[in-house]
Parts: sequence; C-alpha cells; structure tokens
Amino acid sequence: MAFSTVIMSSPHAYIPKTASSPTIRRRVRCSSASVSTQFDLRTYWTALIKEIDQKLDDAVPVLYPQRIYEAMRYSLLAKGAKRAPPVMCVAACELFGGDRAAAFPTACALEMVHAASLVHDDLPCMDDSQSRRGQPSNHTVFGVDMAILAGDALFPLGFRHIVTNTPTNLVPESRLLRVITEIARAVGSTGMAAGQFLDLDDGTPNAVDFVQEKKFGEMGRCSAVCGGLLGGASDGEIQRLRNYGQAVGILYQLVDDILEAKTETDNKKGKSYVSVYGVEKAMEVAEDLRAQAKKELDGLEKYGDKVLPLYHFVDYAVDRGFNVGEQFI
Amino acid sequence: MNLNRYSLLVKRQTRPADPLPPCRRRELVGGNEAMAIPMACAIEMIHTMSLIHDDLPCMDNDDLRRGKPTNHKAFGEDTAVLAGDALISLAFEHVAAKTRNVDPHRVLQAIVELGLAVGSEGLVAGQINRRLMQMREKVSLEELEYIHVHKTSKLLEAAVVCGAIIGGGDGIEVERLRKFARCIGLLFQVVDDILDVTKSSEELGKTAGKDLASDKATYPRLMGLERAKEFAGELAAKAVEELRHFDALRVVPLYHLADYIASRQN
Repeated sequence: MAFSTVIMSSPHAYIPKTASSPTIRRRVRCSSASVSTQFDLRTYWTALIKEIDQKLDDAVPVLYPQRIYEAMRYSLLAKGAKRAPPVMCVAACELFGGDRAAAFPTACALEMVHAASLVHDDLPCMDDSQSRRGQPSNHTVFGVDMAILAGDALFPLGFRHIVTNTPTNLVPESRLLRVITEIARAVGSTGMAAGQFLDLDDGTPNAVDFVQEKKFGEMGRCSAVCGGLLGGASDGEIQRLRNYGQAVGILYQLVDDILEAKTETDNKKGKSYVSVYGVEKAMEVAEDLRAQAKKELDGLEKYGDKVLPLYHFVDYAVDRGFNVGEQFI
Repeated sequence: MNLNRYSLLVKRQTRPADPLPPCRRRELVGGNEAMAIPMACAIEMIHTMSLIHDDLPCMDNDDLRRGKPTNHKAFGEDTAVLAGDALISLAFEHVAAKTRNVDPHRVLQAIVELGLAVGSEGLVAGQINRRLMQMREKVSLEELEYIHVHKTSKLLEAAVVCGAIIGGGDGIEVERLRKFARCIGLLFQVVDDILDVTKSSEELGKTAGKDLASDKATYPRLMGLERAKEFAGELAAKAVEELRHFDALRVVPLYHLADYIASRQN
C-alpha cells in the first residue's frame, strides 16, 4: 500500500510511483463512469511556486526602515516554503471557472499570514524553534523583538494586499469582504491562534485533536474556501471546499508527523497525533481523511477535469510521491 | 479569550474617547454612528494589540499598563503574543463582517487604511525606530517626530479617515480630517512626554518617570519643557484650523476631542 511506502522510506527520498515518470495515474470517480486521467501535479505545483514567489518578492520591497522588511522577506521568501495554501486556493478558484489572476493576491495573502504565524510560533516563549523551512528561525537572525514586529506587519499586509491587488472586474467586492473575513477567522482566536495556544498548554490527548484541527485544518480550510469564493462557487460548493480543506490540512500535518516519527532526530515539537496515538492509529486516520476529502470532491464531478489538481493534492499529501521545491520537515 | 478582554476592557479615562473619533467622523460627513461602530471597535482592538506587544519583556518590558499588571504579567508571554495576534485578526474580521449599510467598496478602502496604519508603514515602523533610537546617544527632532507619527498618529489618523470613508466623505473631506488627525496624534504624544516629566505613576496609571530614567528621547528633553508646551499649543491650533471647513455644530465633538487631548492630566 502506498502509505506503508511512505512510512518505511526516508522522508527526503524521491519515491517513484511508476517506473520513471513523475506523473501519477489515478482513477477519478465520477457518478456514472470511471475515467482514468493523467494529471501532472508536480509541474502544476512547481510552476505555481515560481509565480507566487515572484509576486511575494514584488509585494514586499525593502523600504524604510529596512530591517523590518528584511525580516519580513526572510521568512516570507524562504526557499523551503512549499506554498501549499496557494495551490489549494488557485486550484479551488479555477475549479469553478475563475481566472487565476483573481486568486493570486489572496494566495499571496495566505502565505503572508501563514509566515507571520510561523514566525511567532517559533519564538522562545512559544515553541522555541531554532530553525524553520531549512533556515535559522527569524528571531535567531533578527532578534525576538524584530521577529514579533515582522509577524505583526505581515498580518495586516496580507489583508491590504488582497484589496489593493485583486482585480475588481474579476471579483465582486462583497465577495472580497467574505475572503477577508474567512482569513481573519482562520488566523484568530477561534482558529490558528487557538490551536497554538492549546499546543503550548500541556494538553490532554483530546486537546491534540483540537490542536490538529485548529492549527492545520484551519489553513487548509481557509485556502480552499477562499479559492472557491474567488471563483464564484455557490454556498453548497463552499461547504464542500470547507470540509475538503480541513481534511487535507490535517492530513498533511499528520503525514508530516508520521514521517518525522520515523527519523532519529530529537527535534519533535509539541504534541503530535503520532506521539499521543501512535503511528498505526495515525495511519488509519490519514486514510480516513483521504477518503473524506475525496468524497467532498466527488460532489463536484460536474466540473470534470478541473477537479484534478485538488484531487491529486490529496494523494500527494498522503503519498508524497515527488519532491516539491526543497523538502524540509 | 479572557486575555483579550482583560486588555480591552481595562480603560483609562482617555480611552473611551478614542473610539468616538470614527463615529464622529462619520456623522461629520453625513453617516450615522451605527455604520462606524465595527470600525471603532477594530481601532481599539489594534491599539490594544500594539500595547500588549509593546509591553513584552523583549520590547519595552513594562509591568504596568492602564493601572493594572500588563497582559504578559497576568497571562504569560506566550499567551500575550497570541492575544495580540488574535486581536489583529479580530479587528479585520470585525470590520469586514459586521459593517452594515455601507458600500463594500468603502469598507474595503477602510480596510486598506487600517492595514497601512498597523503594519510596516505605521505602528510597526514607529516601534522599530523607537527601539533603534533608544540605542543611540542623540536623536533629532525629525527622528522623534517620525517615531511619534508612526506610533501614535497613524492609528488615530486611521480612526478618523476610516470613519470619514465609511460615513461617505469625499476625497477632500477625508484629507482635511487626515491632517486634523495627524496634528492631534502628535499632540497626544507631546502631552504624554510632558506629563511623564510632571506627574506620578498613580496619576498616570502607568510607570512614570520611565522616560527620564531610561534616557529616552522626548520633546521636553529635546526642546525644553516650556518650548514643548508651546509646540503642543501650535499643534492644537493647526488641528482646529482643519475643522473650520466643516459644519460648526457637527464638528463640536472633534473640537472637544482636540481640546481634551491638549489639556488632559493622565
């Protein structure tokens, strides 16, 4: 089973699914017929990373006072960033026939708030992490005060960026307000901040589930929903994306935890699902989540091939069939 | 989160006045108070967030704020950082989701203004420069003004400008009010500096004499106490000058706000 391949191998090894080609054959389930469709997620994703990186670079030029912009750019433009939220956001937008130009500013904003929360999570008073995305953590380079302020600056920049860069001929302004609301909720006291708060607490096993949902599920959920909003999805379709995004977000982190559990490092942060429930159970849950996520997409079969990026993303989250950018845990 | 409420609800005397500016701006340009309330709350959340983060040990390391122990003293550093983060997001969420009967275009414009005031071109810039200046022997008046404009004025400016935008103000009206806000924002800080020299902790509700003790650059230190008081007077006059262009009755609350800021005792 593909999942056991993931567990046994080194997390940094390239695991070919077929002989030599990185493309993955999958049977896409439709209501009436099964269709076998190829989709090259790796190329799709790599191209997207390049575009997002360029747009982020443009979005945060170094102004006065230089140091804060350097600190913001340091974390935002880290080479190890996989840009998973933008992938979900852009794919969800295009799923409903939206133009990706409508999604890019939000995709960038998602990365900004994501980077901000990671910078704060790594602080000495929080997770006290020395490294992040393959480089020293922000506060170890710029100092704790600058790191706090860099995060404080990235949050509002995200919201501003959405408004000033989203073409209004592509997205109605009332929808943009919903996007902003969605991101703000995901990041705040009912979302990621809640997750991190509980993660810092010496929680009970039950708290781990909540932490997983809040810290990782929220970002996934938010990315997919925002993409849907920007692409013109209906409320029912948004709900499917919400469920999809949450499942994939948690799933992604779960697999990261499983892979990390297999390394010899002591660098195990916080409490992970694996540390509380064990690898076996975690693997079961991951498969459940994979099925759940795909079930939500089955409800969108009328969009045909447009569902493929999101569909294959689920499998990638579990199987990690190829390297994206530079791989770091 | 209790910690958010703790900081938000501890009010010093001046604080209730501050959320009013957006409302008044609105009414000044034709809007009604209800339209402005979410924005007014958002401004307060942002302000509180900046105080929570400013007070942290790695920043200004303050033990007392608004007459009570600082947030991190009561709840721990980690929680205080998160509380601040949660408040930033809540502010934007609140404006985006709760503003009623206002054209979405205007709400979005107001969100941009808010974002500018909070981030690397506003509050954050002011705090950074303040920390950098603290390590230097000499700070010029221009540098001091930069710090105060960004730390204090920008948020007040956002309050006023956002109120005007949401209330339906046109470009000229918004800019007049922006100038008004810049003056009273700076005025607020000049008066703060003066009070730090002249009052005790109990009267102030925060640790007094800190500026003097820490050799921090302040207006009294750079220009002398008497000149600082004169400067405050000039700022107040400039602020009021901008209000001349508005309806005399509607402008009264703003006029009194300027007066209050100029003559407050804590």
